[in-house]
Amino acid sequence: MHLSIRESDTKRRSSRDSEWRRGLRSLQRSPLAVLGLVIIGFLVVLAIFAPSLAPYSPTKMSLSERLSPPSSTHIFGTDDVGRDILSRVIYGSRISLRICTLVVGLTIGIGTILGIISGYWGGWIDELIMRISDVFLAFPALILAMAIAAALGPSLENVIIAMVVIWWPRYARVTRGQVLVLREIDYIVAARAVGVHESRIIMRHILPNCVSPVLIQATLDLGEVLLTAATLSFIGFGAQPPTPEWGAMISLGRNYLRDNWWYATFPGLAILVTVIGFNLLGDAARDILDPRLRHGAR
Amino acid sequence: MLKRLLVIFLLTALVGIFSLTALASPEGQTLIFGATGELRTLDPHVSVDNNAWRAIYYCYDRLVEYELGTTELAPGLAESWKVSPGGLTYTFYLRKGIKFIDGTPFNAEAVKFNFDRLLGMALAPSGTFGFIDRVDVVDGYTVNFILKEPFAPGVSAFATDQGNIVGPGVMDHEVNGDWGQDWLTEHSAGTGPFYVEEWTHGVRVVLARNDDYWGEPAKLEKVVIKYVPEAADLRMLLETGEVDIGEKLIVDQIEAMKGTPGVTVFEAPSFCCHYVYMNCQKPYLNDVRVRQAISYAVNYDGIINDLWRGTATQMRGPVPMGLVGHDDTVFQYQQDLEKAKGLLAEAGYPGGGFTLKIMHAPVIPEWRPMALVIQEGLAQIGIKVEIESYAWATLRDKLDKGDFDMSHGYWTPDYADADMFTWFWFNSENWGLAGNRSWYKNAVMDELVTRSRTEVDPDKRLGLFRGIQWIGTSDAVYLYLLQINYQIVMRDWVKGYVYNPMLLNMPNFPDMYIEK
Repeated sequence: MHLSIRESDTKRRSSRDSEWRRGLRSLQRSPLAVLGLVIIGFLVVLAIFAPSLAPYSPTKMSLSERLSPPSSTHIFGTDDVGRDILSRVIYGSRISLRICTLVVGLTIGIGTILGIISGYWGGWIDELIMRISDVFLAFPALILAMAIAAALGPSLENVIIAMVVIWWPRYARVTRGQVLVLREIDYIVAARAVGVHESRIIMRHILPNCVSPVLIQATLDLGEVLLTAATLSFIGFGAQPPTPEWGAMISLGRNYLRDNWWYATFPGLAILVTVIGFNLLGDAARDILDPRLRHGAR
Repeated sequence: MLKRLLVIFLLTALVGIFSLTALASPEGQTLIFGATGELRTLDPHVSVDNNAWRAIYYCYDRLVEYELGTTELAPGLAESWKVSPGGLTYTFYLRKGIKFIDGTPFNAEAVKFNFDRLLGMALAPSGTFGFIDRVDVVDGYTVNFILKEPFAPGVSAFATDQGNIVGPGVMDHEVNGDWGQDWLTEHSAGTGPFYVEEWTHGVRVVLARNDDYWGEPAKLEKVVIKYVPEAADLRMLLETGEVDIGEKLIVDQIEAMKGTPGVTVFEAPSFCCHYVYMNCQKPYLNDVRVRQAISYAVNYDGIINDLWRGTATQMRGPVPMGLVGHDDTVFQYQQDLEKAKGLLAEAGYPGGGFTLKIMHAPVIPEWRPMALVIQEGLAQIGIKVEIESYAWATLRDKLDKGDFDMSHGYWTPDYADADMFTWFWFNSENWGLAGNRSWYKNAVMDELVTRSRTEVDPDKRLGLFRGIQWIGTSDAVYLYLLQINYQIVMRDWVKGYVYNPMLLNMPNFPDMYIEK
C-alpha cells in the first residue's frame, strides 16, 4: 500500500510542485497524451468561440438547399432541412462539453460526499449508502438511464439528471475505498486523538488525498459520458430539435446514409475524435496521478 | 473443439437452408412484403392500426367489399342488400355454402355473432358501428341491422377493416369470457383468401392461401410480411430483391430509388392527411385569432415542395380533395407573416412572446422536419415553439388526455365519406383519440356534424358539409397541412397490384403474383 500522504504543509506544497513537474515530464514522454490534450483543447476552443467560428447559425434552415453535398459554401454539407452541418457540429461541441462537465462535475460532487460519509463514519449509514449504490450498479447503466429519461420526459436536462443518477455510485465507491484506508493511517488517528475537529480532518487530510483517484476516474469517464449521452439522444431521449446534438444528428442522418453520407458521418467523426481525446487524456491522467502506476505495478 | 464447432455451424447452416426452401416452395409463389411498422394484434375487433390491417384484411371477408381499386361497393359475403325507406333497417342477403377457415359454416347466426363480439368487446374498432342498435337474424341467410338513427355514410362502413366477419369458432378458444381475444391475437378466424399461418413477433407474419376459398383463390401461395424496422434496411432489401414490395420509405429514399433498375415506384393521390392538432382548451390556443395567426405563419410551400418534394398537396379545408363532399371554394391559408402578426396583436399578444409545445413521434419520420418548419415560421411572429418527441404510445396517451398544446397527426378515412373528417374531427363528443384531437367545442358545429350524419338527402348533406368546412377553416381548428400522394416501392416482377385509396397500406394480396 503506497499513498502519497504528507504531514506538513510546506512539505506538501513542495511535493505537489514536484508532482506537477513530474506530470509535465511524463506528458512529454507520451505523445498520445499530448494528442489527447490537443484534441480536448481544440474542442474547448470550438465550444467557447462557436459563434465566431461557425459559418452559419446552427438552426438556420434553407429548405431549397437541403441535403447539399459538402462544397465550398457548406464544407460539411447540409442536413434534411438545409442546415449547415459544420456549424451544427461546432455548436454541438458546446452541448457535448456541457453534458460532460455537468454530469462528471455533479457525480463527483455527490459521489465524493456520499463516499466520505460512508467511509469515514461507517456503520449503518455506510450500509445504507452502499446498498443504494449497489442497486444502481446492479442495473445495466444504459437501460436505467433510458428508464429515468423516459419517465422524466425527453430533454437534455433530464438526460443529464438520468446520467448523474446512474453515475454517482462509481465515485462514492472510489472515495469510500480511499477513505477506509486513510482513516486508519497513523497521523489521522493521531489527529483524532489530539481532538482535531472532524470537519477539519476531512477537509484538510482526507479530501485532498481522495483527489487523485477521483480525478483519474473522472477523466476516464468523460468519454463514456459523452458516448452515453449521444446514445440516449440517438434513441430520442436527449436533445430535442433544433438542438445540434451529435448523437441526435447521427440518428436522423442514418436514413440518409446511402445518398447523403455527410449527414451522419461528420457528427459521427466528431464523437469519435472527442471520445478518443478524452480517453487519451484519461490514460495520461492515470499515468501521472496514480502513484501505484508511477512506481511500477505491485 | 474445433470439430464440434464446425458440426454445429454446418447444422445451423443446413437448418437455415431448409427453412428457406420450405418458404419458397416450388409449386407456389411467396411474396415478401417488407414493413417498417410492427403489429400488436391480429384481432380485427381490437386493432385500428394499418400495420395490423395489412395482415388481417385478406384473412377475412366483409358483407360488402370495395370494388377493386375504387371506392364503389360490391357484393361480398352478402350477395345483395337493401336499406329501408327511413334508413333505419339494413337487410343483407348472405351467400350460401361458405365455410370459415376452421370449418364452421357461414350464415346469419355467424354474422350476428360477429357483431355481438365487436360491440360486446366495445374496443376501438366498434366505434365505426356505434349506429347499430341490434342485429336480427331473419332466416338462415338473411340478417337485419336495426339502427338507432339514420346513418348517412351507409353501408360503406361494412366494407372497412372493422367490418371483417369473425367466425363463431373463436369461442372454442375463449378463456375467462374474453371472446377468444387471447387466441385471436395470434391467429385468424375468417372466410378470407388467406389465413394466418405463423406470427413470429418482431420477425414476420406468414399468411397462407386458403385453398378452400369460396371465391377466386389467391394466386400467391404465401405472403410473408417481414418486419424491417429501419427504412434504410428496407431500401437495401428492395434493391437486392430480397423483399418484393414494402413500405414505408421516406420520400427522399423513394426519390433516390426512382432510377434503380428493376424497381417500380407506384404513386397516386390518397386521402391520407397530415395536419396539426391545436388544443383549443389550452391557453393562447383557445383564442381563434392565435390559431389563425399560426395558420398564417407556416411555410406551406417549403413543406410541400422541399420536404415532400412535391409528392403532397396542401389541404384545402378539413375534407380532402377527391372525397365526395369536399368544397373546392373553401379558404386556404397561405404564409402571410404580416397578417399573422396583426392577428396576434389583435388577440392581445403583440409580438407574440409566449411558448407553445408541439409533439411528434419519430415513427413518422416526416413529422420532425415539418415541426422544424413550423417552429421557424412561428418564431418569425414571436411564438417560441418547443419540439417534443414521444414514443407512439405516449403520444397517443397524451392526445387522449388533452395533455398537449400542439401535436402532429395524420388521418386516413376508413369509408369513403366526408363524415370520416367532419363528425370525427369536430364533434365535441369525440374529444381525444376518438377524433376531435384539437379538443374543439362549438355548439353550432356539434349541431351541423350531427345533422350531417343523419341527413339522408344527399344535396342537403353537401350543404351541411360545406358549412362545416367553412367554419372548420375560419375557426382554424386544425393546422391543415397536406394530403399525401401514396407511394409504394416494389420489384418489377410483382404483378397485379391495384391501388385502392380506401385500403391504404393493405395491398390486394389475393390478386398479386410474381413473374420473374
